[in-house]
Amino acid sequence: MTEVQLSLNSVDKTYYGKKIETAVRAVKNLSLQIKKGEIVALLGSSGCGKTSTLRMIAGFEDVTGGTIQLSNRDIHDLPPAKRNVAMAFEGYSLYPPLTVRDNIAFALKAERISRSESDSKVIEMAKFLEIEEILDRYPSSISAGQQQRASLARALVRKADLYLLDEPMGQLEPQLRSVLRVRLKQYLQVHQMTTVLVTHDQTEANALADRIAVMEDGELQQFETPTQLKHKPANIYVGTFIGEPPMNTFAAEVKPTGKGFQFRLEETGEILDYQAVDFQQSLHDQLIKHKRIVLGLRPHAVKLGKGALMAQVISNQWLGDQSHIAAEFANKIIVAVSHQRESFKLDEKVPFQLEASDLHFFNAENGNAIAHGLEI
Amino acid sequence: MTTLQLDRVTKKFKADVVLDEVSFEAKAGETVVIFGPSGSGKTVLLRVIAGVHEPEEGKVLLQGHDMTDVAPEHRDVGMAFQNFALFPHFSARENIASPLTALGKSESQIEEQVHSIAQLLKIEHVLEHLPRALSNGQKQRTALARALVAAPKTVLLDDPLRNVDAKLRFEMRLELPRLLRRFGSTVLYVTQDYREAMALADRIAVLLGGEIAQFDTPESIYLRPDSIEVAKLFGEPAINILRGKVNEQANRVSVNQNQFIMPKGFHNKAGKFCEIGIRPESIKLFREKRVGAISYEVITITPLNERSVVLLRSQEGLELLATYPAEEQTAKIGDAFWGMVVPEDLLLFEIETGQRCLSERN
Repeated sequence: MTEVQLSLNSVDKTYYGKKIETAVRAVKNLSLQIKKGEIVALLGSSGCGKTSTLRMIAGFEDVTGGTIQLSNRDIHDLPPAKRNVAMAFEGYSLYPPLTVRDNIAFALKAERISRSESDSKVIEMAKFLEIEEILDRYPSSISAGQQQRASLARALVRKADLYLLDEPMGQLEPQLRSVLRVRLKQYLQVHQMTTVLVTHDQTEANALADRIAVMEDGELQQFETPTQLKHKPANIYVGTFIGEPPMNTFAAEVKPTGKGFQFRLEETGEILDYQAVDFQQSLHDQLIKHKRIVLGLRPHAVKLGKGALMAQVISNQWLGDQSHIAAEFANKIIVAVSHQRESFKLDEKVPFQLEASDLHFFNAENGNAIAHGLEI
Repeated sequence: MTTLQLDRVTKKFKADVVLDEVSFEAKAGETVVIFGPSGSGKTVLLRVIAGVHEPEEGKVLLQGHDMTDVAPEHRDVGMAFQNFALFPHFSARENIASPLTALGKSESQIEEQVHSIAQLLKIEHVLEHLPRALSNGQKQRTALARALVAAPKTVLLDDPLRNVDAKLRFEMRLELPRLLRRFGSTVLYVTQDYREAMALADRIAVLLGGEIAQFDTPESIYLRPDSIEVAKLFGEPAINILRGKVNEQANRVSVNQNQFIMPKGFHNKAGKFCEIGIRPESIKLFREKRVGAISYEVITITPLNERSVVLLRSQEGLELLATYPAEEQTAKIGDAFWGMVVPEDLLLFEIETGQRCLSERN
């Protein structure tokens, strides 16, 4: 069993304004145990508390409550320089009077290694992040994307107990980001670097992280592997946040029939009928307790072209390897995914069906998950 | 009817040629996406059309008129920028109203038009806020509203979704085409995101190093890219490019010890080397052997939303990236698969120039 490297225990962060009423509780009672060598992503929309959390781990913000341990020592009261933490943060810029090369090399000064070893590490890292040709330029003369990579190089080249990356590739264009993501993940894994990264992009979190901590409104929603988050989201928020296109949701009334269940979609009265044989007993027992639920269906479960339901196409976008089709149904927009080109036209009325193989059931009152899938 | 035309526009900044004889046109109501990597000249191009930069050579024609001596404010152009560029001391309402105020519209007209577009863009509830009290998503919609409110003939959108959260970005990508169609303006939209380009464009102008590398529909660019450079910009993961030798009968191409079936019509390539391009989604994976298939081992698997990316290695050492629908396979590292590429999906490119080879049928 891998040891815990970083531990956040009931961490709280409140920002106080000039008046008591303007206090903002940005992080609420957050507890996370991160293992040695693990890559963890803090994922959520702007304002969810992920950046405040990272800044508290770094030491740029005080913790209002709770404690933080790194390698079994308390760090929440230590200044950033004493935490043995390497970071690549927006706003933690490169030193203007030093070249990119010297900026990266500066991070190695504390380590007792020879000049030639330091030089070769800098070059290796620069090749890795594709910034070799700007090594002798100054920060003011390079692009935002290059600055970001130089900053990342400076953080990764060091030996540290923990690496903190704040939207490490936010300034990079999609093609480059795609390539560097793969390289970064391999590098972090090979060198067993415990890493916490912040992102609002769930595609990025899914590609890089061993586990993802989804945050919303200062609270931890779920902390699991990408696969677990996708197949067993803890609530509607996580269910609709993970995945692009997002999960489609439908409020429905639950009607147990002698032979199974009927889900009556509230907006339009459409009925989805499922037989008892489709449900495992435990799932059956859970559903029986609820009169109203929210059904979650991933985009590939929406099959356009035939079925008893009807929707009106508002967009049909072919992206090369898949099509995203958005349609209006029951006063909402549903999104379907197809792995080929589709000929649906704008405003076309299209019949569709919802496939049973992968249903998610959520509590209609509090959004929490009741059960997932029709496990046979 | 052509409403926008660029005729050999060249723009230099001192010795730097940022735009090199750029020519293309857009029809009324068309959305043309200007797509390219950082530094390719996209923003400069937009500014030349807006009238903010004067080109050294060439002409910009809007509605058939030469705009060379026409100031930006008289070109009937609406613009939205990636950093939003909202007036910080004006409320969202005042920001959106500003083009109408500049045109001298009456108060009631302004009120009505601002209300209408705010409703469309779902920002009615924040109209009285100052920009600093708006979220990025709300700022972006305010900037868009301001660009569209006067229903200008030409709308220039410079990467408006760049600074917006991924979730909202995806939502806007679904809604934008319908919204833009409502206004009927000719839209020039700059982006570095190929999916955005393919989703929004009637046609895409691929800008590389200040030159138009290809100007075509998304379908043509994706399926029939003019060069390796263009092919690599569209698709994630990027297209696999391998050096191959075509056999004498021009029906097989070998990449070291592995062979692929050639598409028909390339007898002129018999016995020659070329670069072959295989898009990851073109490699169809099977558990059982098929004719023409190659045996691969799964080296890594990475999720990519509705598809999974798998790194494959053949017994002979050939490595390729393939993708498949995420819900279809439960592949594990070390699994064996037979991979097949439909011959027509194979793209051929010249080694010296990187240009796509055309078959004898084209």
